[in-house]
Amino acid sequence: MSKIGNIPVNAQAGKKRTNPLAGVFDELVQFCQSRSMFMLHYCTGCGAIELPPAMTSRFDMERLGIQPMVTPRQADILLVTGYVSVKTLKRVILTYEQMQSPKYVIGICSCTVNGGMYWQSYATAKVLNEYLPVDVYIAGCMPRPEAVIEGMRRLMRNIEEGKGHAWKDYFQRYDYYLGNQQHLFGDDWQTPTDIIGEARHYGLETEQTYGEHTRILEQHQQPLEPHKMRIKF
Amino acid sequence: MNCEEINLWLDTLLAEIEEIEVTRKSERRVRVDVPASSLPALLELLKGKASYVHLSAISCVDWPDDEEFELVYHCWSYEAKSLLSAHTRIPRNSAQEFAHYVSVYDIYKPAAFFERDIYEMYGIYFESSPYMEKFILTEWNGPPPMRKDFDAEQYVNDTFNWADYHPQWLQELEEDGGGIAVRPEDIRL
Amino acid sequence: MRPENYQLVALPNSDEYELFIGPNHPGIEGNYAFKLKLDGDRVISGKADAGYLHRGFEKLMEGRLWIQNLAIVPRICVPDPVPMEVVYSLTVEDIEKMEVPLRGQWIRVMQLELSRIASHLFTFGGHAATTGMYTPSYWGVADRDLALDLFEELTGGRVYHIYNIPGGVRRDIPNGFLDRLSDYLDYLETRQNDYDNLLFTNQVFVKRARNVGVINQEQALEWGVTGPNLRATGLAFDVRRDDPYLIYNELDFEIPTQTAGDCLARILVRRDELFQSVRILRQIIKHLPSVKGPVRAPIPNPLAWNVSMGESYCRVESSKGELAYYTVSDGGPKPYRVHVRGASSMHAVQVLENMAVGQRIEDIAQIMFSLDACPPEVDR
Ligand code: SF4
Repeated sequence: MSKIGNIPVNAQAGKKRTNPLAGVFDELVQFCQSRSMFMLHYCTGCGAIELPPAMTSRFDMERLGIQPMVTPRQADILLVTGYVSVKTLKRVILTYEQMQSPKYVIGICSCTVNGGMYWQSYATAKVLNEYLPVDVYIAGCMPRPEAVIEGMRRLMRNIEEGKGHAWKDYFQRYDYYLGNQQHLFGDDWQTPTDIIGEARHYGLETEQTYGEHTRILEQHQQPLEPHKMRIKF
Repeated sequence: MNCEEINLWLDTLLAEIEEIEVTRKSERRVRVDVPASSLPALLELLKGKASYVHLSAISCVDWPDDEEFELVYHCWSYEAKSLLSAHTRIPRNSAQEFAHYVSVYDIYKPAAFFERDIYEMYGIYFESSPYMEKFILTEWNGPPPMRKDFDAEQYVNDTFNWADYHPQWLQELEEDGGGIAVRPEDIRL
Repeated sequence: MRPENYQLVALPNSDEYELFIGPNHPGIEGNYAFKLKLDGDRVISGKADAGYLHRGFEKLMEGRLWIQNLAIVPRICVPDPVPMEVVYSLTVEDIEKMEVPLRGQWIRVMQLELSRIASHLFTFGGHAATTGMYTPSYWGVADRDLALDLFEELTGGRVYHIYNIPGGVRRDIPNGFLDRLSDYLDYLETRQNDYDNLLFTNQVFVKRARNVGVINQEQALEWGVTGPNLRATGLAFDVRRDDPYLIYNELDFEIPTQTAGDCLARILVRRDELFQSVRILRQIIKHLPSVKGPVRAPIPNPLAWNVSMGESYCRVESSKGELAYYTVSDGGPKPYRVHVRGASSMHAVQVLENMAVGQRIEDIAQIMFSLDACPPEVDR
């Protein structure tokens, strides 16, 4: 159990928290979290073109406390800006799994909702939340910068009210997401991240974390070995 | 050399090649139909002797009814200011995996990009083209998708699910016996 | 399994190593990857990896009506969508032997030039950002946004306009539009000095961009370089002048060139082009009110429009280079085949791969932006 001063912050599993200050502390954390977010904008599709205006002087997202970040490991929000082709989807999932929790996904553009105008296309994945848990969708083709900012504020509100929990869903229902991924990429699909181990670490495993798909994964998953560096000096 | 000289020159050059058919579509557009065997020779002449140094594009058209692929080489001359489209047809070889043709990379360097593209999208193998590996469709193991006999819509419906859109207002309508009517021909199976 | 492309490759007993840039990387223009083999910080060879933006446009277009396709063509090149609509319409008009009314042509040229300005402003910002200067990218995007406002007024869409249709443009320009356009051009001209001081003559930038990514004219012709990148090597070729379409032969403009063929030359060519576009737009503002008449030729019922049999290859000069469509119609309601020759399909792949050799790592992003490569045009 972690403590701040004398206040126990987390309750033990199965117990209710009794300390009245714990709730206040939670709110404080949520408030701070919602006001300093780093986003990783993965320019998966054409919606990315409206992000530079939204980020720079005219619409200025930074006044909301949202800033672009260059690496996934330090980012809180993954922006998926537009249609995701199957080739990109692999990289999006890799990126998502590398991010630290709590993490949020925003699907910008109609194409991430249901295929959009590329519904006929053999190369793009259609429904993003089959493969990743999505917090907020911003529909539109393409959404204007105002809409993007509105979507961001919706996410901020959700976090502040303690509703932004989609990332937990990924651990809790990993089997479902993995199944959809395997359907698209083949049964030997595997990422370097150990999701099940992480789920255990966060105490988020449920029955739906495991299933037939995770069993397929276990069959051929090889432990990652550190790569030998050979740079001479 | 000025434009007119090159154009005259072009006519004499083209007369050298057998079974060639030249159509002048407009002042700056020439259409040439050649048999597949003499196309590389034609391009060589065009580049070497008639200043058509820029290969603008290679387009491929699939004609399954004729069992043929049509390849179109668009060449531009900076001096004559005219665009020559050389059309040729090669057998489609539906029974085999690939159709075959020769690469023109040694004449025009930009051809490498277009040939790789056509190889991926139509499955035409260009002999002696330098990059004949997958480029755009690295995660794709189906048939070459641009062929007319590949049904993209069927593939999409078999592979992907569609999100359900069932909002509150629709539910209320449905409770009253209404709803969205879908014409039978619009139903996606 | 990791995606095959991203396995680390050990090169035993050597100092060489591999570095992957992209697909999600701030130094890459869009969703595109570039694999480098390095010795120290020198590039030995580079390999482009495209296909992240592949949607199978050409296949999609075969499945839609002629008029429906107008909605998807602008998506092929996002920063500069207007030339896409125009060249698609041009091919259809060419097959149908349709004449576009003069006023429609003038309005089209107006949009094309405005779009060129917007795209170049965007590129300045991107290019400067890769050298570590972020102010031009803020300025460029903000000034581009004013152009997008004009587009919004004209067409209803900020980025994608779908305003050109085969036969002309959808509707006439709104009242007072030309005044606002003229104000915008005045504004751009007042900014010229600021941009020069900040970017084009700024020694910090100039020293960084000079002699980086050099290509000479001979190589450029051999590798099929077009557009501003070709003009930066000294060849004054422009489709607008040498293979004129619409009413470009009635306009008076120059073709700016540079001879060095490096990153600096390329951005300077773009700078000069931007002000040439301003000059063209000024002529349009003067002429357009005197060109009377309809803005579009009548077309048959667009939902049951069987374009007659034929084929056409049309080219325009987009802000990236030569952009061409090859359209084949078999007389049906849908195109039989549309082949898109993206303007940067050469620049982003072969030219970049060749240019990267011998450069340093930090210059790769700059070279890519200076070529103004647009990945969706490569992938389609
Ligand atoms: S919704 Fe429109 S703008 Fe967004 S990715 Fe799809 S096509 Fe592009």
